[in-house]
Amino acid sequence: MKNPIVSLVSDRRALLKGAAAIGALQIASPFVVPVRAADNIKMGMVDPLTGVYAAPAGNEVMGAKLAVDQINAKGGILGRQVELLVEDSANDVGTGVQKARKLIERDNVNFIIGDVNSGIAAAIAQVTAEKKVLHVVSGGHTDTITGKDCHWNVYRVCNTTRMEANSVSDLLYNKYGKKWHFITPDYAFGHTLYDACAANLKKLGGTVTGNELTPLGTTDFSAYLIKARAAQPDVLLLLVQGSDMINCLKQIVQFGLDKQIHVAGTQQELESLAGLPPEARIGIWMFEWYWKQPGVPHVAEFVAEIRKRNGGQVPTARHWFGYTSAMTFALVANQQKSLDAIKLAQALDDFELPPDVKLQPNKVYYRKGDHQLMTSAFIGEALNKGKDDPEDLFRVDSVVPGDKTAPPVADTGCTIKWPA
Amino acid sequence: MTQLLLFNVTNGLIIGAFYVLMALGLSLILNLSNVINFAHGGFLVIGGYIAYTITPYVGFWGALLIAPPITALIGLAVERTLIRPLYGRDPLYSLLLTFGLAFIIEDGTRFIWGAQGKPVTVPAFLAKPISYDFFFITGYRLFMVATVVFAVALLFVLLRYTRLGMRIRAGTLDLETVSALGINVRILRSLNFAVGIFLAGLSGVLAAGQLGLEPTMGTGLLMPSFIAIIVGGVGSLTGTLLGGLLIGVASGLTAMYFPAASEAIMYVLMAVVLLVRPRGLLGEEGMMT
Repeated sequence: MKNPIVSLVSDRRALLKGAAAIGALQIASPFVVPVRAADNIKMGMVDPLTGVYAAPAGNEVMGAKLAVDQINAKGGILGRQVELLVEDSANDVGTGVQKARKLIERDNVNFIIGDVNSGIAAAIAQVTAEKKVLHVVSGGHTDTITGKDCHWNVYRVCNTTRMEANSVSDLLYNKYGKKWHFITPDYAFGHTLYDACAANLKKLGGTVTGNELTPLGTTDFSAYLIKARAAQPDVLLLLVQGSDMINCLKQIVQFGLDKQIHVAGTQQELESLAGLPPEARIGIWMFEWYWKQPGVPHVAEFVAEIRKRNGGQVPTARHWFGYTSAMTFALVANQQKSLDAIKLAQALDDFELPPDVKLQPNKVYYRKGDHQLMTSAFIGEALNKGKDDPEDLFRVDSVVPGDKTAPPVADTGCTIKWPA
Repeated sequence: MTQLLLFNVTNGLIIGAFYVLMALGLSLILNLSNVINFAHGGFLVIGGYIAYTITPYVGFWGALLIAPPITALIGLAVERTLIRPLYGRDPLYSLLLTFGLAFIIEDGTRFIWGAQGKPVTVPAFLAKPISYDFFFITGYRLFMVATVVFAVALLFVLLRYTRLGMRIRAGTLDLETVSALGINVRILRSLNFAVGIFLAGLSGVLAAGQLGLEPTMGTGLLMPSFIAIIVGGVGSLTGTLLGGLLIGVASGLTAMYFPAASEAIMYVLMAVVLLVRPRGLLGEEGMMT
C-alpha cells in the first residue's frame, strides 16, 4: 500500500506551494473594511481573533468599535470621522508583526491598538516605535512592555503582572497560608507573573513548594495536579488564562482538590468564569474591571451599550480595555488639536481619564515614568451563580487604586527615550 | 516517589485511552482512503457543541447517544461533497482540503456558538474522585475509559466479524482488488469515513465533560492522535491503540520530572520510533492482528 505520509513528504514542491498559500492568507485583507474616506482618521487594531484568545480579543474589538461609534457621534477626531481597521494576529508573533506593519505602511493608520498576547504586544511595540506611531497596548500584561522594554510611544491600559501579583499577595498569604504552589503558563506573561508572586511571597516570609510550567494550550492538567498535591501547599495559585484556566479549574474541582487546598490566583476574567460549570467557579482573584459597580457614574450606560451589541451579555474587562484604548486617542488628540505622535505621547504623560471613560471609582491616569495606566484592581471571590443576574459571577470586596498596586517607576526598569 | 510514579502511569493510561479514541477514527480514514484528516479535531468540536446544545432537552446521557451519530452524518455529507472528488489524487490535496476545513469548522463554531467557552456539566455522581488517594481517578474518567474500551471492542468486532468490517480490512490492504470483486468502493469509503467521524463525535462529547468546550479544543487533541498513529504504525489499528497509550504514559511521566517537556516528549518518542523502526511499532503486523 502506498504510504500517504511518505508520498506526501516526497512531494516537497506541493508541500511548499501549500505552505506559501497558507502564508499568503496571513497577510490578506483585514476583517473589517469599512468604506474609507481619504480624510478619515484611522485606528489600526491587531488582536488574536482566532486561536485560544479569540474570546477576549473579540471583546476588545467590540469595546473599541463602541468607542469609535461614540467618538464619531460626537464629531470624530479634529472634526474628522474615525474608522477602525481590525487585523487578526492569529496568536502568532510573526503574523502580529506583519499585520502591524501592513496597517502602518499600507493603510497609513494614525494609531495602533493591541495585542491580547503579551509576546505579540511587545513585538508590535518595537514596530510602532520604529515607525513613530502612537500605540496603546490593550491587553498584554507582561511587565517589560512598560518596564525595561518601554518605548516613548507605547502606553498600556491593562495591568502589569506585577500589579496583579501585588493586588492579591497579602490577602492570600493572610487568609490562606504561607506555602504556595503555582500552575504557570510557560511564556512571557506567566514567567513575569510567577516572578512577581514569588518575590512577594518571599518578602512576606512564605515558601514556594513548586512551580509547574505548563505549555500554552494544555488540555490535561492531571499530571501537574498530582505533583502539586504531593507538595502539600496551603494555596494552589493558577496563573494560567483562557481555556487553560477553564480546563485546570474544571479538573481541580472534579478531583476534589478544592476541598483539600485553597485554590486562587491573580488575574481572573469573566470570559473564563462564564465558560466554567457553576461548581468550578471558586477562589479569590483580581478582576481588572467589573461590570457591576453600583453608584459609579456612567458604568450602567456602558453596560447597556455593550449588552445591545453583545447578544444581551454584559461587558468584560476586555470590552473596557478596547473601549479605553480607542477613547484615549480621541481624548488626547482632540485636547492637543494634533495628530503628531510625539506631541500626543508627551501629552499622555500623567493624563487622567474622565469619568465616562475610566468607569471606576478611583483616579485613573497614564503614569509619566513608564506609560502604564494606573487602573484599579477589583479584588474578590468567584461566585457559583449570580444572585440577581446570571452573569454576576464575581463578588467585589475591594477596589484598589492602580498606584497602590503598581511598583514605583524606579523599580520597573523603564527609561523613556524620546526621539530627538 | 514510587507512589507518584504509579499515579502518573495510571493517569497516563487514562489520558492515552482518550487519544486512542481520536486516533482510531483518524487511522480508519487514513488506512482505507489515504486521507490525512486534519479536520478530525473539528469534528470532535462539532460533536461537543451538538452535545452542549441538546443536553438541556435530552440530558447528558441522551446527548452521548445522539451527538456522535449526528456528527457522523455531517461527516458523511462532507465526505460525499468535498472529499470524494479527491480520492485517487495525491494525498496532499485532501490534506490541504481538510486543513482548510479545520479552520472553517473552528470559525463556524465560533460564529454559531460564540468565541467564549461553554460550560458542560457532567452528572454529579461521576464528577467525584473514587478515593482520597487516587483523587485523579474520577468517576467521569473511569466512565471515559469504559466508553473507550467499549467503543474499541465494538470497532474490533465490527471489523473482524461483519461483512462491512471485512471489506474495510481488505480495502486497506488492496482497494483495487476489492473493487474488482464487485464491491462498491464509494459506499465502503463513505461508511468507513462515517465510522471514523462517529468516533470523533464521541470523543467530542466525552471531552466536553472533561475540558472546557470552545472552538479551538480540537487542535490540542489532534496532534497527539496523529503521533499515536505514527508511533503505533500506519495501517495497524492495534498499533494505534498501543501508540495512544504509550504517548499518554510518556507525557504523564515527563510532566512529573520535567513539566516543560511534557508535550515535546510525544514528538521525541515519535522521532525515536521513526529512527529505529520507521514503520511504527506494529506497522508490519497488518490490521487487527
